Amino acid sequence: MANIEKQHIINSHNLSGEFYFNSILQEAYICGLLNESDLENIQLQCISLLAYKSERYNMGESSSIRVETAESIMKSNLYSIGVYLKSIPDPDYAAFELKTVKISELYERGRKLVNTRFQTAKRIYNMVQKNKLDTLNHSYNSTLSENGIGIFFKSYNLEYEAHDSPASIDYQLCNPVNDLAGIEFIQKYLENLYLENEFCKKFATENIHHLLYGYDKSYPELLINIFEQILTTALGCSLANRNIVELNITGEDIQYLYKKLRKYDHHTLMLTINYATNHIYEELNLTNPLLQEYIERSLPKIVTNIEIALKLNTLSKVFITPKNPDLEPKIHFESSVKMDDEEYRGLIEELLRCRYSSDKLELIKDKVKSFDDLEDILLDAQLEEEDFILLFNTLGDVEIAAMIKRHPFESDIQAVDLSEEEQVVRLYLENYMKQLPPNRQEEILQIAKHLVWD
Amino acid sequence: MSFEIMNVFSSLIQKQAVDEIVKCNDFTFRFGLTLSRQDAIELVETRTFSLKSNGRIEFGGGVIEKIIKEFCDSPYVSMHNYVETLHELIEIFYFYKNETLDLISDDELIKFMKNSFDGKCQGSLALLSGRELEKMARNVRYGYAPDYSEDNEYDEEDEDGEY
Repeated sequence: MANIEKQHIINSHNLSGEFYFNSILQEAYICGLLNESDLENIQLQCISLLAYKSERYNMGESSSIRVETAESIMKSNLYSIGVYLKSIPDPDYAAFELKTVKISELYERGRKLVNTRFQTAKRIYNMVQKNKLDTLNHSYNSTLSENGIGIFFKSYNLEYEAHDSPASIDYQLCNPVNDLAGIEFIQKYLENLYLENEFCKKFATENIHHLLYGYDKSYPELLINIFEQILTTALGCSLANRNIVELNITGEDIQYLYKKLRKYDHHTLMLTINYATNHIYEELNLTNPLLQEYIERSLPKIVTNIEIALKLNTLSKVFITPKNPDLEPKIHFESSVKMDDEEYRGLIEELLRCRYSSDKLELIKDKVKSFDDLEDILLDAQLEEEDFILLFNTLGDVEIAAMIKRHPFESDIQAVDLSEEEQVVRLYLENYMKQLPPNRQEEILQIAKHLVWD
Repeated sequence: MSFEIMNVFSSLIQKQAVDEIVKCNDFTFRFGLTLSRQDAIELVETRTFSLKSNGRIEFGGGVIEKIIKEFCDSPYVSMHNYVETLHELIEIFYFYKNETLDLISDDELIKFMKNSFDGKCQGSLALLSGRELEKMARNVRYGYAPDYSEDNEYDEEDEDGEY
């Protein structure tokens, strides 16, 4: 049987979560619960409240206030009242309260509620700190640090800026928090993050690391949502009859999934995914109804991704094959000891005095025994492009690859804070590479990819 | 909620403010200074204009009254320049409320204005707004005492015979 819901005059779907006070006022007026004189009365009371709060803000020392400050205080007041009105389940009754209770009284109730929410959010923050993931992702770690959300608990001003959320939040949730502000936003964000962590905690840190590394090598710097990647892969594992906890999908599995899922229409796909989700609940022993609800809320987004990938034949971008960075082939490169400073200065002076490229080359060949010294000379000796080409011709692929690794080609905008000498080296190196035969270029770039400094 | 509603609201306040300014005559009469009702209305208009142009709003009144009571005993104010001086002082007051980033109170600012006007500026409003208050606002913004002056420091050091 369908749920029986009480009929309300105000349609709660029309109410804004962020600007609740304004929207309920508007809706109540449209529905005839408030008339014009009520509105005028409420507005006048709001201004008296603003006057009172402004005086307190100035501590009675100043009779005037900047318009921006007054606006902020007004927003804060209305926000607090909105928080209280939102806590009343029946919006019609909330409109009735607006009509009958003094605005200052409603504000006080709202303020108390905001304070309670603040304490709750603090507790959730501590809980999130406890079930935090051990990951290299920078946006995740910095958001959960003292300088991320931590700032909020130090600088939230519920007296005059209750509508504001002064925190540095970069980490993107799978289900972003929309239509909320101030403490409500922070609380919801933390609740969602807690649930995401709870899910991710079911998997080994190492497996998560390999999965994300498979997604992109530089995942620590990316603004990605870890939960979404894990959930998607877990669904893939379930569909391909793989072990969910290991998060391991192979290329063949993806081929199999592509063949299997391609035939499904939206409805069947949704059913299959729902079935896979239930399988995940069982496998991971997920019983928390809040977490289950959160996962189900994330599914439409994932299903859309899968559908698009099926159309474009890019399923391998949705279901990620994990990669273990430790198993990748590596070339270890070690530079020998640098020469003595005194000797190096002498060499540079001599090189600067040289007129012919061949002489410079001879000198370098004779004196330079270490890769680090060679690199320094490229930066210091003011060599011409011609000298560069001659010098590079004498080097092997590994040395050139090492040089490319140290001085990667970047766009002009990325290279903007490099020194002039360094930019010259990069330019000459790039030009040199371009004139090499394509297969040798490819070889050198491959070496550079696997090169590791000791 | 927009601040336009303030206009309806402030008409009541304005009337009250005019009455209060006129009432100040009882106090300033002994210094030979009085204002007509029309003067008072114009002063309130100047205040409204200054508030608007400096991006501020005021809920209570009282600043004009405070300025009148502070400046009425100044040797540089007499009946022939009384009204103009008040208009200028009101504008200067709100301008420097912003310039001092609201870090000093109304009373302190008015007192500083009065002391400088009677003292260093010798009745010149141009010197008051262009030099003394400018310097004071800079001091306040940089966290020095309002009357801090680098010249003073050198003077003191001179007296101590350190140079």
